[in-house]
Amino acid sequence: MDMDPVTQYNAMLTRRHFFGRSSAGIGTAALASLLGGNVEATPGGPGLPHFASRAKRVIYLFMNGAPTHVDLFDYKPKLKELHGKPVPQEYVGGKRFSTMTGNPKGKLMLSPIEPFHRRGQSGAWVSDLMPHTAGIADDLCFIKSMHTEQVNHSPAVTFFLTGSEMAGRPTMGSWLTYGLGSETDNLPAFTVMTSVSKGTTCGQIFYDYYWSSGFLPSRFQGVKFRSGGDPVLYLSSPDGVSRPVRRGILNDLARLNQLRYREVADPAISTRIAQYELAYKMQASVPELSDISEEPQHVLDLYGPQVKERGTFAYNCLMARRLIERGSRFVQLMHAGWDQHNSITTELYTQCRDTDQPSAGLVQDLKQRGLLEDTLVIWGGEFGRTPFIQGNLKDRKRWGRDHHPYAFSVWMAGGGVKPGITWGASDDLAINAVKDKVHVHDFQATILHLLGIDHERLDFKFQGRRYRLTDVHGKVVKGILA
Amino acid sequence: MKQFLLILTFLSAARWGWTQEIDFNRQIRPLLSDNCFKCHGPDESKRKAKLRLDTEAGLRAELDDHKLIVPGKPMESELYRRIAHEDEDERMPPAKSRLKLSAAGIELVRKWIAQGAGWQEHWSLRPLAHPQPPAVEESGWPINPIDQFILRRLQKEGLSPSPDEEKTRILRRLSFDLTGLPPELEEIDSFLAAKEPDAYGKVVERLLEAPSYGERMAWDWLDLARYADTNGFQGDGSRTMWPWRDWVVRALNDNMPYDRFTIEQLAGDMLPEATMEQKLATGFCRNHMINGEGGRIAEENRVEYVFDQIETVGTVWMGLTVQCARCHDHKFDPLRQRDYYQLFALFNQTPVNGGGGDPATAPAIRAPDSLQYGKLEELKRGITASAAEVAKLEDGVFSRDEGKDAAQSESAKGLPKKVIEALSRSPGKRNPAQLSELEKHYKESSAGYAALLKKLREQVSGRQKLEKSFVKVMVMQDRPNSRKTFILYKGLYNQKREEVSAEVPQSLPALAEKAPRNRLSLARWLVDPSHPLTARVTVNREWQKFFGTGLVKTVEDFGSQGEKPSHPELLDWLATEFIRSGWDLKALHRLIVTSATYRQSARLNDQLSGKDPANRLLGRGPRRRMPSWMIRDHALAASGLLARRLGGPSVRPYQPKGIWAEATFGKMRYRQDKGENLYRRSLYTFWRRIIGPTIFFDEAKRQTCEVRKTLTNTPLHALATLNGITYVEAARVLAQRVIEKAGPEAGDRIQMAFRLATSRIPSAGELEILLRRLEILKRQYSTKEEEARKLLAVGDSPRNEKLDAIEHAAYAGLCSLVLNLDEALTK
Repeated sequence: MDMDPVTQYNAMLTRRHFFGRSSAGIGTAALASLLGGNVEATPGGPGLPHFASRAKRVIYLFMNGAPTHVDLFDYKPKLKELHGKPVPQEYVGGKRFSTMTGNPKGKLMLSPIEPFHRRGQSGAWVSDLMPHTAGIADDLCFIKSMHTEQVNHSPAVTFFLTGSEMAGRPTMGSWLTYGLGSETDNLPAFTVMTSVSKGTTCGQIFYDYYWSSGFLPSRFQGVKFRSGGDPVLYLSSPDGVSRPVRRGILNDLARLNQLRYREVADPAISTRIAQYELAYKMQASVPELSDISEEPQHVLDLYGPQVKERGTFAYNCLMARRLIERGSRFVQLMHAGWDQHNSITTELYTQCRDTDQPSAGLVQDLKQRGLLEDTLVIWGGEFGRTPFIQGNLKDRKRWGRDHHPYAFSVWMAGGGVKPGITWGASDDLAINAVKDKVHVHDFQATILHLLGIDHERLDFKFQGRRYRLTDVHGKVVKGILA
Repeated sequence: MKQFLLILTFLSAARWGWTQEIDFNRQIRPLLSDNCFKCHGPDESKRKAKLRLDTEAGLRAELDDHKLIVPGKPMESELYRRIAHEDEDERMPPAKSRLKLSAAGIELVRKWIAQGAGWQEHWSLRPLAHPQPPAVEESGWPINPIDQFILRRLQKEGLSPSPDEEKTRILRRLSFDLTGLPPELEEIDSFLAAKEPDAYGKVVERLLEAPSYGERMAWDWLDLARYADTNGFQGDGSRTMWPWRDWVVRALNDNMPYDRFTIEQLAGDMLPEATMEQKLATGFCRNHMINGEGGRIAEENRVEYVFDQIETVGTVWMGLTVQCARCHDHKFDPLRQRDYYQLFALFNQTPVNGGGGDPATAPAIRAPDSLQYGKLEELKRGITASAAEVAKLEDGVFSRDEGKDAAQSESAKGLPKKVIEALSRSPGKRNPAQLSELEKHYKESSAGYAALLKKLREQVSGRQKLEKSFVKVMVMQDRPNSRKTFILYKGLYNQKREEVSAEVPQSLPALAEKAPRNRLSLARWLVDPSHPLTARVTVNREWQKFFGTGLVKTVEDFGSQGEKPSHPELLDWLATEFIRSGWDLKALHRLIVTSATYRQSARLNDQLSGKDPANRLLGRGPRRRMPSWMIRDHALAASGLLARRLGGPSVRPYQPKGIWAEATFGKMRYRQDKGENLYRRSLYTFWRRIIGPTIFFDEAKRQTCEVRKTLTNTPLHALATLNGITYVEAARVLAQRVIEKAGPEAGDRIQMAFRLATSRIPSAGELEILLRRLEILKRQYSTKEEEARKLLAVGDSPRNEKLDAIEHAAYAGLCSLVLNLDEALTK
């Protein structure tokens, strides 16, 4: 315990455990001090990952508001045939829809609004709305048999990210950083960025429990990078405090804290010294992260015209790559505005324009850098949209689709997932998942598996119960593993 | 003979095992709970083989042809046979459960059965005993019985307590713990100078009586009461519950007994002739989030609010995870799903309908915050006095028989109708119009009387005007006709099953047979001295306030999956003392802070760091980083910026620009306050649920009930206290304060700043480092006056422009350093 704090601090730095858990064992006492004396709250101990994994990190492109699977990926010729005809009762009988639809009886089917084509060698169906995604179809693994239990946005997003529809449990990024720790010592292991297309009328609020650590220690909480002002709260030194001034102050702060440590021997003081040193480092590393002046034009071009504009999805995609490159574990990008209740012929276009190229560009960029090998990219929303219309068939400008939990599509790329395949299927009207169904808990179990984690073994005891991301469910979708 | 003795020894050894006796609650129950209760526990629907191991009857059950347990004979006991079985298919728990008993665990069970398989009720459900404080050797150390319990345990572990903490440090610890604020420099001086033996006790009394005591204690109560200023969810509309928050501060400052504090918050509305204050107290139950989304089903919302209410009561008063019984019988504790919905029935009776997002969903009352409350009390006193004067005068003028009013007097005959009408009411009950009528009538004839009437009228209208300015607070109230309650399958609002009636959980003491089954009876039952949980849970939570960790670390869970108490007798002693004192919170706090245990030095020595790094045995004093709200209050207090006004509407201090707009796509914008409201105590900061105040970290989320405190350290916290406007401004104002107040010498100025931040005088070595830093800072700013002025422009408070900018900026830098010292962040 009498270890000199600076030595101890240096030891800790090399072990890189400030934002996440260090896999190298450090002394219980030092860890206890990091966690405020909460020894039992230390993460599950060695043994993680549970097995060798292909994926080391994740970029989750969360499409908030629920993209329309029927217009983007889940091509159903029969939908075209039945356009304007009532939905066959046998597909929807006894099912709960949002209160806006209520009883779906008599709702009219709505054909996809743009043509579909088979893409690449794999021949995956992708709509013309997504030309860039279409271009990388052979790198993607489409899952078309997703289904969920929630019909409203916030509970459904929460369900996807935490395994429970009630806010308050740890999110996927927290679980992963808790389980696997961090590979960076000067950037957050779990970062969140949000965006919305300009002119979108149906944006959903991003609640901070979408990146909460729940009952896990709060250092596993996602760090929100803001789209205006300091990217990280309170990052910039105040006006009039230069880098040398700050450095000098921190040097003496450490010196005085060290004197204090000699006096009271509280290991929390060594942690404090490290904490301030790291804050100083972040003040340099985050601006460095955000400085894209060195990015060559051909790389910027991959992400599309909005890439330099802070707060756009394109900019966030580029940041995601830069974070991953620097050792971040989990990057969660959330883009709102997919909730087209009455704007499928209008705002859906904007939405695709703003997300299609950046998403595809990100995958290409990762691939050309060899990062796609061990980075898992996920694209998807909280549910799908009804293959039948919300609104009046005669009023094309106001066509919409309502929430639809029974079948929808997502895609994954990289990190141990088979490229160029389509997994599962919905019925011929894209209403119900029928073949190789993938429940949200299965999806979560699979993501953990890809990261080398047995979803049944990554747990945390809270209020008398062991909790895990997949609750008490979840089966790994073996068929998509490379 | 020798042989006989040997046999005897052998026999008793076999009977009792070779080691000491197994403690069922400490060693066996947790083992059974973790490994067996899931399938052989309280949950009837999941129970396998009709076997139940969580009750004594279950463990003693006769199986078809054998016994689960044969006391003294592990090999004949099916329980042991199965957990120790060599065949994997026979062994319990089954492999597929992923549960596994360790060899040591199996051996414990064997010994326990060999020793006779004694059973005890779960510790927290056993009736409270009043343990005698143990006699301890080294009798010089203990100050009060707490210390006897602590010392005995330390001695058992071969440890000894630490010496007394240094005077400045104990004063600092005490001030923060009781008031959330640092001691003033004069207070430190006088405490250091005090020679009388009870100087410490006197400080304790002063702090217990300080208004800031209630503010400090209220923070934790607001956390568990999930108090916030908005409803949460998509719309996140603002609400006006702060009069309830002020009620809490007043109640704590007035040292309202905790039993009354409980009853009024859970059922104040049901007390006979409930006062406005008592109704206001029930705002506690209505602090839950409210979902105002259009597409939501009202009844579903309503049911969720009731869930939240009873789960909060379960955690706060009973330390029970009642939420586990929402969808099925509790897996580990004796709470049936039926118990859950019987509790539900008690709170299921309000007229709340779950619809809409009105920030003051009925039932609501208009109630005063603390500022208004003071004025109201003053007006009421004035009205009573003036009315008495008027009455005295009228008694003379309008003489009449006892029991009659002035209008019935002979002298009132023939007066105008409106005057008679006014006179028919006693003076204090007249409205302003009536008073004005009388005043007009007597203005000419009786100027003195009219003047008195005028005074009364102004007071009454003043009161009416004041009452109109009160905001609406959501409170509790029951409907005249009761709502039926059903067990809800999987907790789904529309999946009604069997009807149940209101009742308290079966495994706890019964409610008096004649007591009506309502909230008031529940509240009284909770604070009945025979309730095994309430007092234990409460003293444990209070203990956590001072030592950082409860005697039961899982302050939220006293069930079989929670942690056992580190000092069970002390916990029970404190609980019974608490009840005996009349649920006196201040007395409990006094007891804790005057103990030798609390007053120990926090210094960690090798012996303690090796054996008890987490300080669960309390062989040293508590040393913890302050919660972030206290760090903020401290910075404001040290700089002298702190505005000490109590109560009133929530305030909006500094936050980074665009903080609400970003979270809500521009629908909401944060309008920062000006002036004094920037410097109010953290308690009064406006709390928006979807995006809480960013200046705090590690705090409860104020969405649902939270009782456990967490402390973590990330660089993000350091960034906040280094760069947040609040802290930069505090540093520059502290700099100004010491330049203005501490004389011309740099050493004196630094010393004052250091004392304001840490309460103590810096050592020569520390002073030297700081003096050198000051010189460097001066040099750094000397060629950059522009930069210096930028730093000095941070924050709204005016700067003394007479001060040299370069010098001021250098001191500001230095003060930022000092305010970020580990010691400045620690209590």
